[in-house]
Amino acid sequence: MLEASGLMVFYENMLALNNVNIYCGENQIVGVFGANSAGKSTLMYTLSGIIEDIRKKEEMAGGERVNILGEIQYLGQDITGLKPSQRAKKGIVLCPERRRIFKECNVMENLRIGGYLASSSQAKNTMDYIFKTFPALEKLKKRVGGFLSGGEQQMLAIGRALMAQPKLLLLDEPLLGLSPLVQAVLVRATKEIREEKGLSIIITEQYARPVLPIVDYAFVLENGAAVMEGDREELMNNPDVRSAYFGV
Amino acid sequence: MDILIEILIYGSIRSITLALMALGFALVYGTSRVPNFAHGALYIINGFIVWSFLRLLGLNYFFSILLAIIVIGVIGALIYQIILIRVRGIAISEIIASYAIGLAILEGLRWGGFKGMTYTLPTFIQGSIFIVGVPVDLHRIVVLICGAALIGFLWLFTHYTRIGLALRGMAQDERAALMLGIDSDRMAVVAMVFGSMLAGLAAVLLLPLGNIVVESGYNVLILAIAVCIVGGLGSWMGAVLAAFLIGFAQILTEVYLGTHFKTVVALLAIIITLILRPSGLFGRQKELEERV
Repeated sequence: MLEASGLMVFYENMLALNNVNIYCGENQIVGVFGANSAGKSTLMYTLSGIIEDIRKKEEMAGGERVNILGEIQYLGQDITGLKPSQRAKKGIVLCPERRRIFKECNVMENLRIGGYLASSSQAKNTMDYIFKTFPALEKLKKRVGGFLSGGEQQMLAIGRALMAQPKLLLLDEPLLGLSPLVQAVLVRATKEIREEKGLSIIITEQYARPVLPIVDYAFVLENGAAVMEGDREELMNNPDVRSAYFGV
Repeated sequence: MDILIEILIYGSIRSITLALMALGFALVYGTSRVPNFAHGALYIINGFIVWSFLRLLGLNYFFSILLAIIVIGVIGALIYQIILIRVRGIAISEIIASYAIGLAILEGLRWGGFKGMTYTLPTFIQGSIFIVGVPVDLHRIVVLICGAALIGFLWLFTHYTRIGLALRGMAQDERAALMLGIDSDRMAVVAMVFGSMLAGLAAVLLLPLGNIVVESGYNVLILAIAVCIVGGLGSWMGAVLAAFLIGFAQILTEVYLGTHFKTVVALLAIIITLILRPSGLFGRQKELEERV
């Protein structure tokens, strides 16, 4: 479904991604694990095209030079260099780190903004689906985004991303700062969404353990480079990875 | 008693007037973060466009207004596409560029001979009525109703339509909007078109109350900025509230201190806001974000 090869991203002279090759099959959940500043978010920005926006803004403001190299193939098309809104139209939707929900809008409005690309029937169906998957949101329809708890905000962020009718959903650290209970809910929901909506998901986390049971394949990033990849068992059996990312 | 009713009626009219002047500015700044300092110029040029359609081409008044609103929207889009898009994201350049456009338009009009007291637009309805003993022009009532309707319409537009919601999303977090497939460049043009049209509408409603003079372009800009700063830059409902605050403050000073203090009020409001609450009445969240 998605195949990115030789991704290199420079912020000025700092190498944020170093020759990363990553791929994600149809209806797969792919995990990307790595510590802080390993390049997880940069990878997500590169896949979703946000990096193009960052590059453009920095260039206009005379800030950092951002260089992006490599090639991204998605559904047989070359999408390298496309604007983020165009990629979203093709079905690559990023649910960003720290959620970035619209704090001054209520839950329904957040979802409706997310449904910008959806037709009205799609929007309605997806909304029903979201409230079925996250019943907690149903009671909070009129609450303003800024007054939601972290877990509710994350559910809303995932829901909002689903409203954009993704084929490939990018989840950037969805479990960050949440309680184990909420983490379990979100992990289960992620698995359900993959099965029921038939989409592919790339999920990044610092701590791999909670999401490991649902990933089909995983990559480990270190200092911007993919140092390891493999399916669940392969990663679990590697002693270095186990101690560093799974806390076993 | 009479004076109270007078304050209430004229205070409301003044407030709506200010809100009309400021909404376009607030809309453009709120969504694309471009402080459109050409706002006052767009306001005045629309007055002259309507005047030209009406007097030079002899079109029907209503039709001239409609046509002028469309023209001003196109002008706004062109200003954005040709000039402002190149300096987007560089705050000081945006101000200089848009102010330069405004200056060019206003002084260009003056140079072109559009000055003096000869340019007027007819009022929509002639005559005046007495409301509980206070005389009010019918046109001012029209302004009051149209202004209130426009604010209501804007509220509905930003809460219930796809484009309106997308504009609000972009205003709060442009990058998050991008992730959802909202094209921020196109939305910025849309915002600029709406902003220019709002400036044009304000002109159409307010200019029949006086002459079309180039100088009032600068006044409109100052008032719009004052309202937006007091309300919290980028907050539309804050702008409406601030318009009422400044509007009533102006009327009160007019009644109790004298007419010549009127302009001071708006400027004083900017200074007081910047000292006490730099992010404005409704800018709380932005203020927090800036600190983080």
